[in-house]
Amino acid sequence: TQAPRPLGVSLAKAALYQPRADNSWTCLDGSRSIPFAQVNDDFCDCADGSDEPGTAACPQGKFHCLNKGHQSVDIPSSQVQDGICDCCDGSDESLVVGCTNTCHELGAAAAVQRRNEAELHKRGAERRQEMITKGKQMREEREARRQELNQRRKEQELLHTEKQQLKQNAEALESEAVEIYKEQQRELDAETAQAEQEPQQMRQEASLSFVRYDTNKDGFVEVTELMVDMNLDSDRNGVVTVEEAKYFLDERDRVDLDAFITLAWPRIKPLKMLAEGLFQPPQPEVVASEVEGQQAEATTEEAQPTPPIISEEQAELAGGEDIDADEEGEEDQYEDEEEPDVGVGEASADIEDAAPPAYDPETQRLVQQANEARNALEEVERSIREIDQEIKEIDEQEGKDYGLSQEWAVLDGQCYTFEDREYVYTLCPFDRTSQKSKNGGPETTLGRWDQWIGKPKKYSQQKYANGAACWNGPQRSAIINIKCALEPKITAVSEPNRCEYYFEFETPAACDSEAFQAETDSLHDEL
Amino acid sequence: VDPGNFKTCEQSSFCRRSRKVQSAGSKYALIPGTLNTYADSLTADLVNKENHHQFAFKLEALVGSTFRLQIDEKQPLRPRYRVEHALKGQPQAGRIRVEQETDGEIVITSEKNKAVIHGDPFRIDFYENDVLVVSVNAKNWLYFEHLRQKAQEPTPDPSENENQQEQDAAVETPKVADAIDDPGAWEENFKSHHDSKPYGPEAVALDFSFPAAEILFGIPEHADSFVLKSTSGTDPYRLYNLDVFEYIVDSKMALYGAVPVIYGHGQQHTAGVYWQNAAETWVDIQTAETNVVSSLVNFVSGSRKTPPPAAHFMSESGIVDAFIMLGPKPMDTFRQYAALTGTHELPQLFSLAYHQSRWNYNDERDVTSVSAKFDEFNIPMDTMWLDIEYTDGKRYFTWDKFKFPNSLAMIKNLTELGRHLVVIIDPHIKRDNGYFFHQDCTERGYYIKTREGNDYEGWCWPGSASYPDFFNPVVRDYYASQYALNKFQTVTADVMLWNDMNEPSVFNGPEITAPKDLVHYGNWEHRDVHNLYGHMHLMGSFAGLQQRDPNQRPFILTRSHFAGSQRYAAIWTGDNLADWNHLQYSIKMCLTEAVAGFSFCGADVGGFFGNPDSELLERWYQTGIFLPFFRAHAHIDTKRREPWLFPERTREIIRNAVIKRYSYLPLWYTAFYELELTGEPVIRPLLAHYPQDKEAFGVDNQLLVQDRLLVRPVMQQGVSKVDVYFPAIDEKKNGDWWYDVDTYQRQERSGYVSVPVDENKIPVYQRGGSIVPKKERQRRASTLMLHDPYTLIICLDREGKASGSLYLDDEKSYEYRQGKRIHTIFNFGNGQLTNRFEGNPKYKSDAWIERIVIAGLDKVPSSASITVNGVTQQLEVLPQERSVVVRKPGVKMDVDFALKLNYQ
Repeated sequence: TQAPRPLGVSLAKAALYQPRADNSWTCLDGSRSIPFAQVNDDFCDCADGSDEPGTAACPQGKFHCLNKGHQSVDIPSSQVQDGICDCCDGSDESLVVGCTNTCHELGAAAAVQRRNEAELHKRGAERRQEMITKGKQMREEREARRQELNQRRKEQELLHTEKQQLKQNAEALESEAVEIYKEQQRELDAETAQAEQEPQQMRQEASLSFVRYDTNKDGFVEVTELMVDMNLDSDRNGVVTVEEAKYFLDERDRVDLDAFITLAWPRIKPLKMLAEGLFQPPQPEVVASEVEGQQAEATTEEAQPTPPIISEEQAELAGGEDIDADEEGEEDQYEDEEEPDVGVGEASADIEDAAPPAYDPETQRLVQQANEARNALEEVERSIREIDQEIKEIDEQEGKDYGLSQEWAVLDGQCYTFEDREYVYTLCPFDRTSQKSKNGGPETTLGRWDQWIGKPKKYSQQKYANGAACWNGPQRSAIINIKCALEPKITAVSEPNRCEYYFEFETPAACDSEAFQAETDSLHDEL
Repeated sequence: VDPGNFKTCEQSSFCRRSRKVQSAGSKYALIPGTLNTYADSLTADLVNKENHHQFAFKLEALVGSTFRLQIDEKQPLRPRYRVEHALKGQPQAGRIRVEQETDGEIVITSEKNKAVIHGDPFRIDFYENDVLVVSVNAKNWLYFEHLRQKAQEPTPDPSENENQQEQDAAVETPKVADAIDDPGAWEENFKSHHDSKPYGPEAVALDFSFPAAEILFGIPEHADSFVLKSTSGTDPYRLYNLDVFEYIVDSKMALYGAVPVIYGHGQQHTAGVYWQNAAETWVDIQTAETNVVSSLVNFVSGSRKTPPPAAHFMSESGIVDAFIMLGPKPMDTFRQYAALTGTHELPQLFSLAYHQSRWNYNDERDVTSVSAKFDEFNIPMDTMWLDIEYTDGKRYFTWDKFKFPNSLAMIKNLTELGRHLVVIIDPHIKRDNGYFFHQDCTERGYYIKTREGNDYEGWCWPGSASYPDFFNPVVRDYYASQYALNKFQTVTADVMLWNDMNEPSVFNGPEITAPKDLVHYGNWEHRDVHNLYGHMHLMGSFAGLQQRDPNQRPFILTRSHFAGSQRYAAIWTGDNLADWNHLQYSIKMCLTEAVAGFSFCGADVGGFFGNPDSELLERWYQTGIFLPFFRAHAHIDTKRREPWLFPERTREIIRNAVIKRYSYLPLWYTAFYELELTGEPVIRPLLAHYPQDKEAFGVDNQLLVQDRLLVRPVMQQGVSKVDVYFPAIDEKKNGDWWYDVDTYQRQERSGYVSVPVDENKIPVYQRGGSIVPKKERQRRASTLMLHDPYTLIICLDREGKASGSLYLDDEKSYEYRQGKRIHTIFNFGNGQLTNRFEGNPKYKSDAWIERIVIAGLDKVPSSASITVNGVTQQLEVLPQERSVVVRKPGVKMDVDFALKLNYQ
């Protein structure tokens, strides 16, 4: 039933190895005609090596192992007759080597293996399906949320226009009234007024802050109550320590209102203002006249008021360490803004100039209204910032490739760890990978999410790039090789190249029963 | 490298002192009436006429046109060190005849050579066939610091008046005539290091002139040109085994090895001097810088306008022990040197194939997968290497159990594919009380000692480390015994060895090595034996591998080496850089090593430090395949550079190069057998076979493989052509015919020829008149080629003749020494190829001759016929563009045959 085949020729090519009537045969590339007896005679006659399918004589030849019972393969002719059994049917070696035919066992084992893998993919695929559902749901939610945010942003923009108008109106009235009032007060001794006003103003601010800090309303501000205010994180390490907090309480555990006003507030206030970008802290003790004198001096020489610029930078520094700190900082800022009288914006000018004068009730009312209008506008602007931040996050997620069916989306936000002898490795998919020595020391970023790089299956490998730079070397990076399994986990981490890491990661998201089946089918050969 | 980490001659007190003699000269004379003559030698007393110190002088004739000259103190205060173990055995004594003994002049002859010894001033002239070729002490630069007591310093006791007189007396002690006031005579500092120098000044120095020579070469290891440069105005060449980080090229600085043999070469005569001294040595070179004008002047006037080239050897201690080798031709002197210090024995074939190394392959999986990748991309590879990280915390003879939990299985994965593993074992021993090796060495006193008698502690890879004193035979035995498979159970007899850091390298020592006042076995100072430390380490290692498996030839790679180390190990040029300069110097350095006994030499392919780009890596492989030791290696901080990590184009270029190397393995293997047999280097400078061609003297970007191939690799970036020099065989500029091995295109004239080169081209030419054996079938490892058939490449000379040899055996064991080998000489002439066996072809081989390629025939034969045992068979002849192929002669390697070309 089968055409006679020279050794090393596949069934498909058997027909090409038939002698012509004159017993000649032509190389498959057509380059030469040779006697058929020179096929497989252990001398290379054809440039394409086609005359020696069963020997090692031709440099670029291929030997076809039929491997009945298992998978047929082509091996390079360099492996024919070299004393090593490469084909499971032993056809690549002459009998002297004594290869045993292991195709049936291997075939059976491979079948079992395939079945197991198919089963794994099947079971994994169920979980994958859940991940797909969840991922799609997440995307829908994101999209819905995005819509909602768009809508809200439009609303807030309208509101913004409105509040801005209100603020302008209120401020116009305010400044008119204040001008009038100031004229009226001109005859009064400004110095005296300031001298009286400042402590009074200070006392007022201090009292209100006291109430804010005293969250348990026991009439004392305690260390723990101060520790929630990130503005007091003097060393900017993200935590207000007991020591730091105590400093503001004059090294006491708690203070009452009076002590707060005299001892604590003078220490706290500059930091609050600093954090709000209001001004470069002057010495709290410096009296107004001295300030004025200095200013006068400065004006005569070279009046270039740099403090606001510096304070902005410092405020940025205070919040720039990491995202968490940022968020806390922002929250604090919002809280502060809710405070009616520790003024923001224009109010600062008053503080800098001098303590605000005690207006007549009408002026006071207009100032109050202007303050409210300013606060209302600020409120809207904050809301817009929040919306923009969330939109940015959603857009970033939208930009990430979570797979054709969103099956990988669930992994974003998860983290997995792996320990070897020296290190603990962390992989937070779609975010970052890192390494931390078990002997302590800081965490080292091995890479931040970059892209999928699997070939030919795109979703089999991820790359994380731009990690911490190596000493004398490149920035660290990591490649994540992903396989199907029922439970997500990292199974191995290595560093084949200096500063280039390689993770083995398993997750049901990689289980694709249909793709696996298709792949298996394509491997099925002529047998 | 920061040269400031290493001494200049000026910073080295003995070099400073010895060199000073060059301006003043010295006054030594034989003492009349002390001459004694023997059958093979003569002796006499020698005196320094300035300080009257007496020396014993001995001149000995050895067979093979070699003399040995020794000068030691007649009655030294303590014995002076004489180098041991460098010679391969007791040299064979010759016979002398005293021809004349008059007026303080003695003339002796031995074979066709003559030595004339002048009494006052002391000088010896050596004549080869009545031509003066070497003159000893012609410049009167002999300088021999006899051992002396340290002068008592006046007691520093100024407050006590009553001692004043005594003090005066001490000061007035008559100053000896030869007092050495050099501040470094009795102690010396370099950077933060102090050398206590308890025995004071003890330098020896002597000059050798080469009146029949025009150039000098030799004294490796230096990253310098093949021809030695004049040291006038620079430091001398330095021989002091050192671990030099990122060494610079075009430099006379010392490197890892020290081989104090120098050759003087002229068109008619070549001679050599082996200065056998293991202490720190500096060599001044006096030579007219060769340039066109000076050679023209010489040519026109027919006489020399400049003094002959000369070398001034200056060593810190020991004795004068010099071997004068009289040639007369370059290959004669190489053989004479090999007769003294030996050769590398025939290595296992696999060690001539491709080695894949990196600092480091991380774990078992890494090793196995790199090996598998070579198969995936069908690139041959024989040996995987493991650098220091495989060990358990740099404790040699142990494994990191975490990364290599089952080394035996990993080794089996390799050996089942015919591959080998090489592991590194360095001499420094981690000072860890839980480490058996350290415990043994500590308890038994095996470490090198400080002056005070404590175990010396230095800093190296493991941190605090000590260094076994391999000069002690008991320590060598202990060391060798550690390789036994019942001791070192995590390897097999197929795992071979890499000895690195054996200068020794000591990170916190003076000049990154051991202090000179350490004390070795026999109470010798490290100063006396420094350059031999690596050599003694190798003796222990080699014995260990031989004892482990007496019928397997050991393979060892070493970095440190001395004269004679070639008997135990291959060398490489150390920690080079991935740049084009270092690629070029790899050939220059290995050529110098080859003529100094170290044929088995190579350089890290790709460069150790840094990352080569594709082009540099391609060209480095193409160059590396034509050096005897062929290994890719890289620093731990470099990017991986296995061929498949580069674009396919690069991978294919590298693959083609590696396959080309494997196809020539029969030639390399034959060359190494013939090296063991004759002492003739495997790779050779052009002057080895073209001694008359002055233009060829300085060509060190080309090499010869035996006398059969001429190799001129492309070693510049971005070139589309290179100039190849074809040497002349006579004054009329006639040259051999050379055939391009890829195209059989023939070069018929001598001189420079510009040759176009594409990215795959390696300009290699086979000499017309030679026959080269090849194996043209590809395998994944050389060991799997054992039974594969041979191809003979016959390139004809002007007379239509060619000859060449082929050696084969089991490629692994010592059975070849019991005659189980086949050494064939092929001869072609008058259209007929015949073979002849050297000795009985007792090895049984399955191999056969697959094809015979003949280039240079006038006309194409119609067929061929081969006659074996009286039976004649017709063979097909396949015409090619510039050659013909005789198809499938099919004869086995151990039968006589005659193959005849037929023309109809």
